[in-house]
Amino acid sequence: MTVQPLDAVHRDKIAQLPEEMFTIIKSVGRATEPRLGRLHILGRDTLETPHYVATTSRGVVPHITQDLFARATGINGVYVPLEDFIEKAPDKIPPLYQFKSPDGSSPLRRFIALRERALLVLGARRTPPIIAPAANPNTNTSVSISTSVGFRPLTAEDYAEAAEKLQPDIVVGLGDIPYGRALGSKRIEKATDRNIEWLQAHVDVRNDWYEDTTGPSTELFAPLLPVSCANQHYYIESLLQDRSKDVDGLAFYNLAALEDLPDGLSHLPRLALTEPTTPHEVLQHVSLGLDVLTVPFITAATDAGIALSFAFPATAAPKAEAPPVSLGIDMWTTDHATSLAPLVEGCECYACTNHHRAYLQHLLSAKEMLAWVLLQIHNHHTLDLFFAGIRKSLEDGSFQQNVEGFAKVYESRLPEKTGQGPRIRGYQFKSEGPGEPKKNPAPFQMLDDRSEKLAESTPPAADADAAELEEQGFAEKQS
Amino acid sequence: MAAQHSHRQRRVRYPLDPHPPASTNLPTSFQMVSLLKLSQVTEEGVRFLSPHDGSPMLLTPEHSISLQNSIGSDIMMQLDDVIATTSPDHARIKEAMHRSVRWLDRCIAAHEKPESQNLFCIIQGGLDLELRRECCREMVARDTPGIAIGGLSGGEAKDAFCKVVGTCTQLLPERKPRYVMGVGYPEDILVSVALGADMFDCVWPTRTARFGNGITAEGTFNLRHAAYAYDFRPVEEGCQCTCCRPQSEGGLGITRAYIHHVAAKETAGAHLLSMHNVHHLLELMRRAREAIVEQRYPEFLKEYFGRLYAGDKDKYPQWAVDALQGVEVDLLSD
Repeated sequence: MTVQPLDAVHRDKIAQLPEEMFTIIKSVGRATEPRLGRLHILGRDTLETPHYVATTSRGVVPHITQDLFARATGINGVYVPLEDFIEKAPDKIPPLYQFKSPDGSSPLRRFIALRERALLVLGARRTPPIIAPAANPNTNTSVSISTSVGFRPLTAEDYAEAAEKLQPDIVVGLGDIPYGRALGSKRIEKATDRNIEWLQAHVDVRNDWYEDTTGPSTELFAPLLPVSCANQHYYIESLLQDRSKDVDGLAFYNLAALEDLPDGLSHLPRLALTEPTTPHEVLQHVSLGLDVLTVPFITAATDAGIALSFAFPATAAPKAEAPPVSLGIDMWTTDHATSLAPLVEGCECYACTNHHRAYLQHLLSAKEMLAWVLLQIHNHHTLDLFFAGIRKSLEDGSFQQNVEGFAKVYESRLPEKTGQGPRIRGYQFKSEGPGEPKKNPAPFQMLDDRSEKLAESTPPAADADAAELEEQGFAEKQS
Repeated sequence: MAAQHSHRQRRVRYPLDPHPPASTNLPTSFQMVSLLKLSQVTEEGVRFLSPHDGSPMLLTPEHSISLQNSIGSDIMMQLDDVIATTSPDHARIKEAMHRSVRWLDRCIAAHEKPESQNLFCIIQGGLDLELRRECCREMVARDTPGIAIGGLSGGEAKDAFCKVVGTCTQLLPERKPRYVMGVGYPEDILVSVALGADMFDCVWPTRTARFGNGITAEGTFNLRHAAYAYDFRPVEEGCQCTCCRPQSEGGLGITRAYIHHVAAKETAGAHLLSMHNVHHLLELMRRAREAIVEQRYPEFLKEYFGRLYAGDKDKYPQWAVDALQGVEVDLLSD
């Protein structure tokens, strides 16, 4: 992974590349229409858009070690939230800030051992984030972030400094994003002011930071508030005028701001830090002109033991009378216990070419971590193909028709989770208050729990039914 | 010195890896000891309640062999009657040893693929050396392709463990692999090798990785400790595993600080440390084999213990010093 000196061939290739980081290849001209593009950052794999970047937790795509990431997945970009790394800042300087990259490249990339050519996007919060309690609101100078030691404020200044020091490829500016809450008009006004001010401050940091060099090595994406552009028009105005040279892209937290996005901003790449819960929603996001998406349901499906099984365009022809096809396969069910078939027939991912359903079902029921590794590889591969299908349809003009076909063929939701996922950690959920059931059921129980119950119970009445007997510790009723 | 050397060479054998290479099937066996509380051992087999649904089950030697035949493992293990070595019930230990011999006969008779699968017997007899000797004699007479020493690593004292291994290996034929079951600590493996054992298996390197422990030549360290949060060295300096090797040499260049960041928080943390720990043990065994071939295993042991205890001979475990003295390796000499 050393940085090789450029040979002649490489130099020629670079000369041929467009100067622009983002090129729109095909678009109908209006702002809220799907578009084909190319995101190119020197030294990284070119991201053909629409595409997705994988979400990470503590610097790693969950379950996928860094070597496996390079060897067994086709993921070419990741989103990394800063809140995963700054437990006790600012009281204590986080390790990541003290880490020096051995070769002067991005300390963040080296710290998390990310593949050299994978695109690295840095934001402040996880996606989806854990919503901060009302007692920890964003302030004029900071947002509330969730770390593994609780909610803490992250100031706009600290964030800008850190983001530039860590040298990701793309940094999403800090926004006053009110996750999970509707905004009143006063609050929107306040958020707009904060966004203008924080972006200004971030640009100032960049100008100081790169004073002596040719310019920033990171691309700055401006966060838009999750309201229409008309509602945040002072901010939009500043993006169109004062900041037009400083901002390299836009980040969206919902679809509202897309509706009336001015043409003056349509040349910028659009990163969606939204939470689509189904492939249908992903298609809707793409339809509205989003270029790079984060898709948290990939990891959610993996943790639930679900192998995603959809394709775009849908392979089966939509039939009026046929029942909708499932979007995923629940690998926990014992139906798979003797099936030697791959997770998805014809799939060429590492999991499907090397293993079969029976093995996966066994791994899940034995709670072996390898189950989630294999599912995660498969599910990301499914999304790689899904986005490739989207781009191809956009190219040949069949996108809209294929979206309609997809909606007819597939179920509207992912299958329900039936099995137990990996252990949930404190930074992955927010406690809802006292009396909550355990998030991680005990993996073992006393084996003779049943006989103890039996010994303690009074003898069943002559007319007791099966449910009552079961409650007293008798064998479960077989259906 | 020369005489001693040749003597040692007779005893220290060429050990196999503690983990067979991935291309071979792992030995299969059924560990009944952990279910002991609810299991009932009769001459017929082991009766126990299914850990899944509590339904009663019976595992006989014949059934265990039939399962292993269908799994097709290269090495299969007999069903044995295991009593914790720490059990005070001597009569029961004796009974278990004799029953294991009888079950071995049933296993051999039930084995359908002796031409392609190797059935290993398992020597039992607790910590009673006389019982172990008797078991060795009985089982060696059955002429299985390989021999396991079982029932150890159950919390017995290390010197008792070494005595059992040393006693058994003396009675076992030269040309059959000797497999000490459930041994995984590097010191235990290296001493057992000196006592004439060849193969080992243990969950320890990967289990300890899940708890955030990294194995190094200087000892095992828990990287979840706050001291490692700012430690930007690899888990083990100079280690050539994928996790530790610097990026400039094609590795990941993972630091202790990063392991600290993910250990016990992300499953990938367990995976990364497992990669290192397993590599460490495989590398240790490779170096042990090299030392044996080059006739310098005693020096290898001295070097190993010297590094592990930072040259402080007072800290060397007495059991290891004693056990190695028994095979004429003096750890304390310079």
